[in-house]
Amino acid sequence: MSNRVNPDLKKELRKFGEGDWNDCFNCGNCTAICSLTEKDILFPRKEIRAIQMGLKNKLASSVGPWLCYYCGECSETCPRDANPGELMMAVRRYLTKIYDWTGLAGLFYRSKLALFIGFLLVLIAVIAVGYVKGFETEALMEFGHLFEQYVILALFTLIILPNIFHMFWLTIVKQKVKAPVFSYITGFWHLIWNMFTQNRSLKCETGSFRWLEHFLIVIGYLLLLFTTVFLNWFSTENNFIIWLGYIVCGLVFVFTFDFIIDRLRKKREVTKFSHHSDWLFVIWLFLLGLTAFIVRLFVDTNLIDNNLWLYMIHLIVIAQWGILLVPFGKWTHFLYRSFAIYFANLKKSALKREGKL
Amino acid sequence: MGENERTGIFFCINLNGNEDVVDIFKIAKNAEKKPNVSVVWYSSDISLSDTKKFASEIKNLKRLIIAGYKTGTVKSFLTEAMVIAGKNPENILMADFNEYGANTKADTEKAKAVVECAILGVPFEAASVPGETSVCTETLVIGGGIAGIQASLEIANGNQKVYLLERTGTIGGHMAMFDKTFPTLDCAACILTPKMVEVGQHPNIELMTYCEVKSVEGEPGNYKVRILKKAKRVDISRCIACGICSEKCPGKAVSEFDAGTTLRKAIYIPFPQAVPNKYLIDADNCIYVQSGKCGICVKVCMVDSCINLDEKDEEVEITVGNIIVATGFKVFDAKKIERFGYGKFPNVITSLELERLVNAAGPTGGNICFRTRDKKGNWIFSDDNEKPKSFALIHCIGSRDENYNKYCSRVCCMYSLKLAHLIKEKLPDSDVFEYYIDMRAFGKGYEEFYERIKEEGVNIIRGKTAKIEEKNGQLLLRTEDVINDRLIEQKVDMVVLAVGLEPREDTSEMAEMLGISRSDDGWFLEANSICDPVGTYTGGITIAGVCQGPKDIPDTIAQSSEAASHVLKSIINGKIRKSIKDLSYDKIVSNAKEFSK
Ligand SMILES: Cc1cc2nc3c(=O)[nH]c(=O)nc-3n(C[C@H](O)[C@H](O)[C@H](O)COP(=O)(O)OP(=O)(O)OC[C@H]3O[C@@H](n4cnc5c(N)ncnc54)[C@H](O)[C@@H]3O)c2cc1C
Ligand code: SF4
Ligand code: SF4
Ligand code: SF4
Ligand code: SF4
Repeated sequence: MSNRVNPDLKKELRKFGEGDWNDCFNCGNCTAICSLTEKDILFPRKEIRAIQMGLKNKLASSVGPWLCYYCGECSETCPRDANPGELMMAVRRYLTKIYDWTGLAGLFYRSKLALFIGFLLVLIAVIAVGYVKGFETEALMEFGHLFEQYVILALFTLIILPNIFHMFWLTIVKQKVKAPVFSYITGFWHLIWNMFTQNRSLKCETGSFRWLEHFLIVIGYLLLLFTTVFLNWFSTENNFIIWLGYIVCGLVFVFTFDFIIDRLRKKREVTKFSHHSDWLFVIWLFLLGLTAFIVRLFVDTNLIDNNLWLYMIHLIVIAQWGILLVPFGKWTHFLYRSFAIYFANLKKSALKREGKL
Repeated sequence: MGENERTGIFFCINLNGNEDVVDIFKIAKNAEKKPNVSVVWYSSDISLSDTKKFASEIKNLKRLIIAGYKTGTVKSFLTEAMVIAGKNPENILMADFNEYGANTKADTEKAKAVVECAILGVPFEAASVPGETSVCTETLVIGGGIAGIQASLEIANGNQKVYLLERTGTIGGHMAMFDKTFPTLDCAACILTPKMVEVGQHPNIELMTYCEVKSVEGEPGNYKVRILKKAKRVDISRCIACGICSEKCPGKAVSEFDAGTTLRKAIYIPFPQAVPNKYLIDADNCIYVQSGKCGICVKVCMVDSCINLDEKDEEVEITVGNIIVATGFKVFDAKKIERFGYGKFPNVITSLELERLVNAAGPTGGNICFRTRDKKGNWIFSDDNEKPKSFALIHCIGSRDENYNKYCSRVCCMYSLKLAHLIKEKLPDSDVFEYYIDMRAFGKGYEEFYERIKEEGVNIIRGKTAKIEEKNGQLLLRTEDVINDRLIEQKVDMVVLAVGLEPREDTSEMAEMLGISRSDDGWFLEANSICDPVGTYTGGITIAGVCQGPKDIPDTIAQSSEAASHVLKSIINGKIRKSIKDLSYDKIVSNAKEFSK
């Protein structure tokens, strides 16, 4: 397979994260120290090399960056201080841009202004809806509930599924990976399991507490989605659902708060460089949990009718989160990561079939 | 001066967080007042990506001076700007403070003079020629490694008196520890021993072993040096080196000469070919000195009043005209990198330890064997132990690493190849793996040596090993083979760490005592890295060998001979240069004005 050399690749990637690709002298320490790299899927040095040589296709077809959980061991021990862990993070942002057919992911990663305008437009739109509905609590809440359902449906069919298919195309189809059919099926259970637990990160030496926090946020977030969207938490009378909602909201905003503090402290490698997309992700998730919590509290204390602004804020946060951050931000990493493991397993089965493993 | 002499000065404020630097703003203010200086910039205010913008700022200038620290880093930017502005880039003058040794705040006046010379268009070297003074013909050489030995012999054979001062009980330094040297695989002792003997017998050399410099006073051509002669407690004019005292001595210590691979006695000779070939007592480990009981050595010694356990340290003062510093290096402490397990796994060893194992005169008689724990818990190599069957050598330990030393230690690639060869020679059936980042085989015959070792069946793999673990009694290495894109998990019996070279602990103390500087990486600073690699800014003080920076034996010898020629030149002329660092600002500027006429 021939690869076209693209001398501008380095420059382009610099827009997606900190670090200097040229610092690396290709010693391979980072790959060998990484607990997640595997015999047939090597990273991060190979990705850095691909960037240094401008091999855009090679980079676009690699799944390695998604298998990295940014434990930072490679950055700590890199003899050139080249920050390979952070470079992997930048590659993940770049890949999100590559997979995304709308082009918005790339735009929002590179330009804070574009993102700001997006946020502003959504804010205006929500206020406009409020105006149209005459700022009436019941009507607005009903709208909100419908809105969530439609957005989720639209996102999945129009953006997320096509993007994942694009990823499949780049990493498997274009690479002519010929995996046996049954591996598509067996790998699927792995995929689901990984998606919920992200348990590969336990292989890193950074500790299982981080993993637990992560896990609880994921579970909390998914349950929150479920209770609000499908169980209609804000309007339900069922005590069990009400309490469930409170608990999952709490999980989300308590642990995201801890993540925010962690990023501010910059103690661990993973928190040394924070891109604006990282900040938005944790802060909005935090706001999401917090505002939902307070809204339901106000509903329970019958204060919501006089404090509609609160629900408006929640709606704005949800809309910005759902329309901008979920499809075009760091949220997708969660899906891409799980699919990357799926695709990596396909690659491995293909190699096994060819007897190369 | 006319309109077209207009000069701009670009100040590089590239300090890397260092605060003790010259006062650049003061210098800039001073320079701004000069008649033909029309503008000054600070690098912190200029965007180095916008050449066009800067080019428009220099439209009306004739000359551009780059002053400050790390001036080289902006030169290409400014050259491009000059070209865009239609100027001759040859009119860029460099006034780098580091280059002329203006490093600390105290050097502000000197840095001011550097800039002033550039404004006058006079090379700083031409304006800063210090005056000369008469010279005492005796010379002190500090450090008795191959560098000190070579320099001493050159001067002594030029019929001048030399004091050779060595801190340990013998001269020879690191070279005496080696079995063979690269790239010729000559026997190290065959080259070194005759030189050591010559030093010991030379009528012009006064050898002072087990001594330390206490203080240096005076000026170029006339230094008063106080020397501490540590008590050897053995009269070297009487000792016949029979060794009977050592045999019976109950005091034990780790043998420095054997790089800690074995133990020696409290009364000992560093190695059989030591010069002077006499025993001495290590007071720290002598039971009598520590507790007042023992004295066995005195009883068994056959020579009358040879051992005096109560001998005291002594101080002497000598006067010399020149001092050559040849204090060498220490090896990097591999314990600092925990993931290689040195100090935890007994069979992860350093290259220096292996040098002793392969040496026929070493603790195992030249046999490479496993390291085990003895009854008292000491780690020892014993000849009775089994022999390892597979080896891995790992390059660049502590060198070329931002977390430790950034520089390349220059000799470890080659000595690793040498050691790989020696392992294969001693244990032909063993497997040897060598992991490197880049193979630095730069010297004459070195590339050929590399090719030869490859042909001998050593597996040479490009990739830096990341960690070592112990598994079922073997050592497991994880490395990426970056050429073949493979992850290698290799099990071996013994790992050899190619530790880098580092300045000795007392380097800063020595620098202060001698009034010389150190470069960023800690080695002694030469006057000019290109055309005066042995001189310093202090008159009468030269540096030779590894103490100036990592180098191999051939380069050490070349540099030491050059240092000797500096000394002999001054003695033959009867005159020596004073220190550049003592020249005042006014003197340099008036010289420069004189010169520009
Ligand atoms: C494992 C290893 C293998 C090597 N193999 C080779 C090889 O095969 N070929 C090759 O060309 N090079 C080799 N080298 C490099 C070689 O060791 C050096 O080039 C050489 O030893 C430098 O000599 P030196 O005199 O400058 O320093 P040193 O050998 O370190 O001698 C310095 C001397 O100064 C004394 N000293 C230090 N401080 C003071 C003080 N304050 N006062 C008094 N005395 C003092 C020390 O005790 C020592 O005797 C090897 C190096 C290592 C680490
Ligand atoms: S990123 Fe660092 S550790 Fe990785 S290959 Fe490059 S220099 Fe080596
Ligand atoms: S950050 Fe951790 S997981 Fe990611 S490449 Fe580096 S060592 Fe591997
Ligand atoms: S007096 Fe000291 S040197 Fe002599 S035999 Fe006893 S311990 Fe050894
Ligand atoms: S000489 Fe070789 S092993 Fe030593 S630091 Fe340089 S590159 Fe590394």
